[in-house]
Amino acid sequence: MSSDEDRAIKMREAGERESARLWRAWRTVHEMVQDRGYELTEEEVKISLEDFKAKFTGADGTIERKLMTFSARPSDAMMKKYANPPTASNPNPPSADIGTIWVEFLPDTSVGIKQMRNFAQHLSANNFHTGILITNVNITPAALKIIPAVQSETRIECFLEQDLLVNITHHELVPKHVLLSKEEKAKLLERYRLKDTQLPRIQLGDPVARYLGLRRGQVVKIIRRSETAGRYASYRLCV
Amino acid sequence: MASATTPKSILKKPSYPATGSSKADRDREVALYHANLIQQRKDIELKILLSTETLIDYPLAAAPYDASNPSPADARSFKDLLRPFQPSDYDALIVERNINEHCGYALCPKPRVKDGGGGKYRIVGKYGKAKDFRVVDKEELEKWCSEACAKRALYVRVQLSETPAWEREGFNSVNIDLLDEPKSEEGKSKERQSEEDQVVEALGELNLRGTEDQVKKQDAADLALERGDRGYATKNGLVDVKIHDKEVTEPVQAPSLDTDDLSSRLGTMHLTLEGHTPSFGSRKQRRHHEELGDIEGENSDEDTDWKL
Repeated sequence: MSSDEDRAIKMREAGERESARLWRAWRTVHEMVQDRGYELTEEEVKISLEDFKAKFTGADGTIERKLMTFSARPSDAMMKKYANPPTASNPNPPSADIGTIWVEFLPDTSVGIKQMRNFAQHLSANNFHTGILITNVNITPAALKIIPAVQSETRIECFLEQDLLVNITHHELVPKHVLLSKEEKAKLLERYRLKDTQLPRIQLGDPVARYLGLRRGQVVKIIRRSETAGRYASYRLCV
Repeated sequence: MASATTPKSILKKPSYPATGSSKADRDREVALYHANLIQQRKDIELKILLSTETLIDYPLAAAPYDASNPSPADARSFKDLLRPFQPSDYDALIVERNINEHCGYALCPKPRVKDGGGGKYRIVGKYGKAKDFRVVDKEELEKWCSEACAKRALYVRVQLSETPAWEREGFNSVNIDLLDEPKSEEGKSKERQSEEDQVVEALGELNLRGTEDQVKKQDAADLALERGDRGYATKNGLVDVKIHDKEVTEPVQAPSLDTDDLSSRLGTMHLTLEGHTPSFGSRKQRRHHEELGDIEGENSDEDTDWKL
């Protein structure tokens, strides 16, 4: 076998690996968006590798990350979950702080302030409430500071491709996390006569918290299997 | 039957004196104070971020100016923007510029060099002296367009303060020098200089030459800041500290040897230790000498209580 053929085979294998990686990240991010409560069809989520390749392969035979974008609208159930219940002091609460989500894979080999600004501008120009940016490389620390700076207009979340290769919530050691609505949270606190700071905590940067896009002050119910009790629920406050 | 008098509490009385403000008020004050500090810090951090964003696209002036002769306007705003930076922020700026394929030095319009070859390291100083020989990370070399620019950029970097800007005192008097200042003396660049630049430059010169009073005032203000009178962070401190300085009006003079009685001390001057002239021998002996009228030099530090 000549070295040229050898190289060609290696190239093709590398391309295959790359597209398989991207396909897995693509599926995971769809599952993530669906688990958060956005509307996605089953075909979109459970796309096969062949379909994925057919859809996103560019002219040069590799996967075009530029094409890998999608948006989704929140479902009614999600709107209800994020709704602000009317209270005695505030009978007409503001509407739910949730909206269309935009997901984008970034092809750039380095991600700095410029790219982040462009993404933020794209989000606010198209009225997307939330944006998920998936990059191949680490984002520079300075660029990450853009996120809090534009938080009043739009929410930006960042993920690395390599972090999305597997869906962590499908692992058997990760218990089921369920987000509680504001109403459910109030009921929980009343039932146990707690202040919310007295709950156990989960960090904002926790992998599962990032997966669910938790916000500070939200409570998740964690349901784990228990040998003695069958199921055991605990609650955690996101800080 | 229970008596009407309430039992006396065995709990300790609160140790703090009963001031006008309630505990809630004081807590609020403390919380506000710290919140203000954090807000100040956030403001400065945002400012640094925005400055970095601006400096990515520098220099604004085109063709005739380059890194060795930046346009005065660019150089001035570059210095202004860099003021709150820490070295780490400056490094971040270099990284950001490199991502956009600019030379790391913010006043250089050239793109950075890209070494096409593979490998992670490069050998530097192959033909020079042995001490110049180094193996350097390739990325380190690719930050700049040339070695001169690397020098210029690092020359600025070492002038930045390690202290974060919100803890700095005398915030406004940080001055940054460039390795290659704008050469406005050259005839051709003077013509091209915009009117605004000329005015600003003239103003700067005026300030330098004229009004020493102003300089004095600025110095005094800086000194006050340094002492923590009104530091950037302690503007509304918890403790109200007021420093009253004694005003010194007459010009300060360096201490000098008074020449009048110098001649009388000349004899023992070589024995003097920090103004004190030790005398040797027991007191009795010295007294004896004195009685004989044999006075050598001055015995200023002799005990003269016995004299009436």
